[in-house]
Amino acid sequence: MLERFHVPKEQEVRVSDAALRTTITDLFVACGVPEDDAATGADVLTMTDLRGVETHGVSNMLRAYVDWFRDGRLNPRPNWTVVRETPGTATIDGDRGLGVIQGTAAMQIAIDKAREVGVGIVTMRNSGHLGAVGHFAMQAAKQDMVGICLTAMSTLVLPTFGAVPRLGTNPISIAAPAKSEPYLLYDAATSTIAGNKIMLARRVGANMEPGWIADPDGTPIMEEQPVPEGIMYGLGAYNLLPLGGTREQGSHKGYGLGLMVEVLSTLLSGAIPNMVEDKAPIASHHFAAYNIAAFDDLDHFKDTMDRTLQTLTETPPAPGHERVIYPGLPEAESEAERRANGIPLHREVIDWFNRTCDELGVARMETM
Amino acid sequence: MLERFSVPAEDQVLVDHEALRRTIAALFVACGVGEDEARAGADVLVTADLRGVETHGCSNMLRQYIGWFRDGVRNPQPNWTILHETRGTATIDGDRGLGILQGGPAMQLAIDKARDVGVGIVTMRNSGHLGPIGHFTYQAAEQDMLGMCMTASSLLIVPTFGALPRYGTNPIAFSAPARSHPFVLFDAAMSSVASNKIGLARRVGANMEPGWIAEPDGTPIMDERPAPSGEFNLLPLGSTREQGSHKGYGLGLLVEVMTTLLAGAVPRMVERDTKPRHCFIAYNIEAFTDLDEFKDTMDRTLQTLMDTPPAPGHERVLYPGLPEHETEQHRRANGIPLHREVIDWFSAITAELSVAPLETM
Repeated sequence: MLERFHVPKEQEVRVSDAALRTTITDLFVACGVPEDDAATGADVLTMTDLRGVETHGVSNMLRAYVDWFRDGRLNPRPNWTVVRETPGTATIDGDRGLGVIQGTAAMQIAIDKAREVGVGIVTMRNSGHLGAVGHFAMQAAKQDMVGICLTAMSTLVLPTFGAVPRLGTNPISIAAPAKSEPYLLYDAATSTIAGNKIMLARRVGANMEPGWIADPDGTPIMEEQPVPEGIMYGLGAYNLLPLGGTREQGSHKGYGLGLMVEVLSTLLSGAIPNMVEDKAPIASHHFAAYNIAAFDDLDHFKDTMDRTLQTLTETPPAPGHERVIYPGLPEAESEAERRANGIPLHREVIDWFNRTCDELGVARMETM
Repeated sequence: MLERFSVPAEDQVLVDHEALRRTIAALFVACGVGEDEARAGADVLVTADLRGVETHGCSNMLRQYIGWFRDGVRNPQPNWTILHETRGTATIDGDRGLGILQGGPAMQLAIDKARDVGVGIVTMRNSGHLGPIGHFTYQAAEQDMLGMCMTASSLLIVPTFGALPRYGTNPIAFSAPARSHPFVLFDAAMSSVASNKIGLARRVGANMEPGWIAEPDGTPIMDERPAPSGEFNLLPLGSTREQGSHKGYGLGLLVEVMTTLLAGAVPRMVERDTKPRHCFIAYNIEAFTDLDEFKDTMDRTLQTLMDTPPAPGHERVLYPGLPEHETEQHRRANGIPLHREVIDWFSAITAELSVAPLETM
């Protein structure tokens, strides 16, 4: 994450991962979620904050989840159904559950299938926000698989040359295990920037870079400036640009990748894209597990991963940079630091926790 | 493709696609390739040229393919071996064959597996250049599947913050069928520009955009200038960290894992002599949802994209596969425009290999 997105030191309050886990679980339970599911969802969010992925931890999204449960848009006790199944695939109707809570079980089905036939793909429709999708890819990696997870929700991103948003930020994630190096863990929106980063930039007062968003008429904003005051997302609003920013710098690639995620998540689960029928906050997901032992000797794979990741970290850096990293390395470093020293949350987030805990009759979160 | 990459009108020679097909197949046969494989390979290259994918048609790569066959780098009559296999997967050793000739049967194996268990994935190592990889995904889409294809070969891209290239342009291609609209066909390098585009820019004298390549010390070049004559390294999609190059870098690594690592091979950044590696995936739509419903939804989705009001200065909103489809209609009727320099090369090579010269229109 860019330095500018970090919580400024003077605004930071540290909480232990155990305390955060307890409070999130309590809040979900207070919303009607069964105890086990609540603990599963709390683990996803806490791991996300431990890895330093602030945008998708508790700070931005938990309040939305609580609201969606309370206003009935999401179902705290879903009965999901497998609507189609083959030895390598399953399509699931999520019954308006929260993706953050349902993702773990869905990826586990994909993993179990991959043990049988080498690969498992599970698509899920009619489910809520999936959070940091890399978490589920990592779940597969921890079971000696390559994991891929995708999700599609809402319309926030313009197609190249377009003036109205048609795609969600439609992230792609992959995780792959290594022997002694931190696992590869890539998880990123196919827009130039994640939608949650714009919220984060507003909160911490950071500037946007050229190519992040477009003017309301669809023209890419190509100078650095603060997040504009006006409405974000939708017809006649500021919208996100696909990865690449402009056509000349490759935005058609970000757009194409976003469309690919839409097909693999939404259409392959038998749902209708949000650009055709707006059903937000209902999303569609895609979970893939590739059983490494079906393709190659597992030890050989992990050794090769180690050699690859070492080659990357030993790459001489360009002027002005300290080192070359790979996706998953800073996250592993952040996790180690935060497990020891606690997770830094913004004061504003702590205030929200206190208010919501009081309102729902839950014990306030312990801070360090 | 950006307008600047098109062959300038005064340098164009038009060739009928059937004539081009015949000549390419004859050249492959002259290199020792079997008749059927030669025709399949010619179809891959001619389809790319028909669809306007000049970078991966006959203009840039065919001379290399022929060079590789003639100097023994590529095996014109490979016997591939399946090293590992399950109901949904296969890992293949390509026996130094040329990728564009091996991609068709590899994707077909993935498709057959997807008919059996819903999804099929085939990885291949020790193969050669795979050319316009979207071709093989389209093969799956034509059989009512989603197709995905990736390939990894040379060392051309610097990782974010890095000064040395660590992986290739590692393209991702994806295709999905629709009912009445042209199929989605996405095929793009995970660098901000394909390396063949730099060759093309040199040939047609076009400028490079900011963020396409790095200075020799790894610093992204952020002004517009002509393509360099010497060696260069490409930047990941996104160009700079602030504009998201870590995403292009991560996607490049995704491709490296799915192709190289899952094929049991070692990345080129680790061992210099590693041969190209590929990954072919087919998802049987019927296994997931109703096929008719899927195609209807695809049509509605693509229609919504085309109906999107354009931003100022743009005529319309496209989707990947649409302009390529339009170009194909036009070029089937009017011929494929090749650069004079390419025609000269064809004349020289057909004479050298005693093949009938390429007919022009």
